[in-house]
Amino acid sequence: MAARRVAAAGCAWPWGLLGWARPERFLASGSVFPLSCIHTSTPLEKLGKWEKKNRIVYPPQLPGEPRRPAEIYHCRREIKYSKDKMWYLAKLIKGMSIDQALAQLEFNDKKGAKVIKEVLLEAQEMAVRNHNVEFKSNLYIAESLTGRGHYVKRIRYHGKGMFGIMKLVRCHYFVKLVEGPPPPPEPLKTGFDQAKEYVQQLRNRTIANTL
Amino acid sequence: MAAAMATGLGRLGLRACRQNVESLLRSARGAPTCRLVPVRTKRRFSVPNWDREQSLEEKKLRPSRMVAPEEHVERTFYLACTADVIDPYVPPEGDARLTSLSKEGLKQRAERFKQSAVSQLALRKVKDHDPDFSTKTFPEKAQEIFTEAHNCLANFNKQKLHSLVTERCYSEMVRGNRYKTIRWSFVESLEPPRVVHVRCDSMVNRGNLYGQVTVRMHTRQTLAIYDRFGRLMYGGEQVPKDVLEYVVFERHLVNLYGTWRMHAKIVPEWAPPKDPIVKTVMIPGPTLNPSQEFEEIK
Repeated sequence: MAARRVAAAGCAWPWGLLGWARPERFLASGSVFPLSCIHTSTPLEKLGKWEKKNRIVYPPQLPGEPRRPAEIYHCRREIKYSKDKMWYLAKLIKGMSIDQALAQLEFNDKKGAKVIKEVLLEAQEMAVRNHNVEFKSNLYIAESLTGRGHYVKRIRYHGKGMFGIMKLVRCHYFVKLVEGPPPPPEPLKTGFDQAKEYVQQLRNRTIANTL
Repeated sequence: MAAAMATGLGRLGLRACRQNVESLLRSARGAPTCRLVPVRTKRRFSVPNWDREQSLEEKKLRPSRMVAPEEHVERTFYLACTADVIDPYVPPEGDARLTSLSKEGLKQRAERFKQSAVSQLALRKVKDHDPDFSTKTFPEKAQEIFTEAHNCLANFNKQKLHSLVTERCYSEMVRGNRYKTIRWSFVESLEPPRVVHVRCDSMVNRGNLYGQVTVRMHTRQTLAIYDRFGRLMYGGEQVPKDVLEYVVFERHLVNLYGTWRMHAKIVPEWAPPKDPIVKTVMIPGPTLNPSQEFEEIK
């Protein structure tokens, strides 16, 4: 009984402490543990959806299937920068290979470039260490997004006792790295292609309910 | 009486009076008289508490606000297993290489266990606490525990794993496997398992006995580890491997409800190296200054 109590306690406290880090495929049997452990506590920060995406586990692949490319999700929250200004940088590196993206960001003059570069390096390190990625250069940026963080209102003092209310703006930055060479960019639609499509639409017209 | 004293003193005169007082104050040996100096004892100004220089101890002892007495939440911890193997067994070299048919192999086999006196003593102590223990029946049970534990690890049945495996072994088995899929199967046992080494030791207090039994197992197993995305990281499912292992089982003998659980594995130095993992790993080289080149340092 003592051994079982220890086993229960031994199982309960990591479950409570590391409650954030459960893989989504394992469903625990529903047994109630006694309150014998004091160290259970709620996690400090609630994990966002993007962080949880790193926890899905796929079933083992059959020998005939093509190799599934590794996907690594990373983000940084509450960056002191505007989401609209950050969007330009996110759009810049979308679809590039990681080396090219790092090179572009290093010589970009914006403030957000430094932050995004740190995030990309962190994500690369995580990929190699935790997610079984073989070559650290063999990654490309599949998705890169910005989101609105928490805004704070402050007083901006003008002359003659006038004031305005200014917003201190923060943003989040999300990135998804996928293993493999970057996909080739889509070719631009030429006029000839558009004309062909138009002609095809005309030819597809029929009269309904006829022979 | 005071009037009488006053009149008495008055007759003598003031000078005589003072001389008398001084003579009273004079000690028997004739030391010099001390002058009476009037001192004002009323305190005019005192430095307030907050401005006064306090020694470090006083500062520490006096809290600045009301402090509630700390509630000591005491958590008793319970040593269910030892931290390491007591007196680890040193497996003889060429253990699985010598066939049992040769004379040497047989001799080694028969004599080794009986020779060890410490093992015999420890075995006796174990039998005192656990009368059902026997070196003939235990190896089979041990192999069952071993197989069950590995199956639980493959199925992520943590509750059952805790009951089959000590806490030390659990952390070693489970580390790094959270987001991986493990497929393990036990094909067959090539030789019957046998007890090789018994030790008994007490922790913290003198009577708190833990018994450790080393079992030698020569088995055939298959192992395949897949990473988060289902890609093969190590091993193969259809590739059985012959494995010679020395597994240590432990039990808290003094505990009435203790069970024999897997504790550790002993890896001998002459063991063949394991297979490499599927992916290539970069080993970082020395950090170079911009002016240096790698060939120069080499």
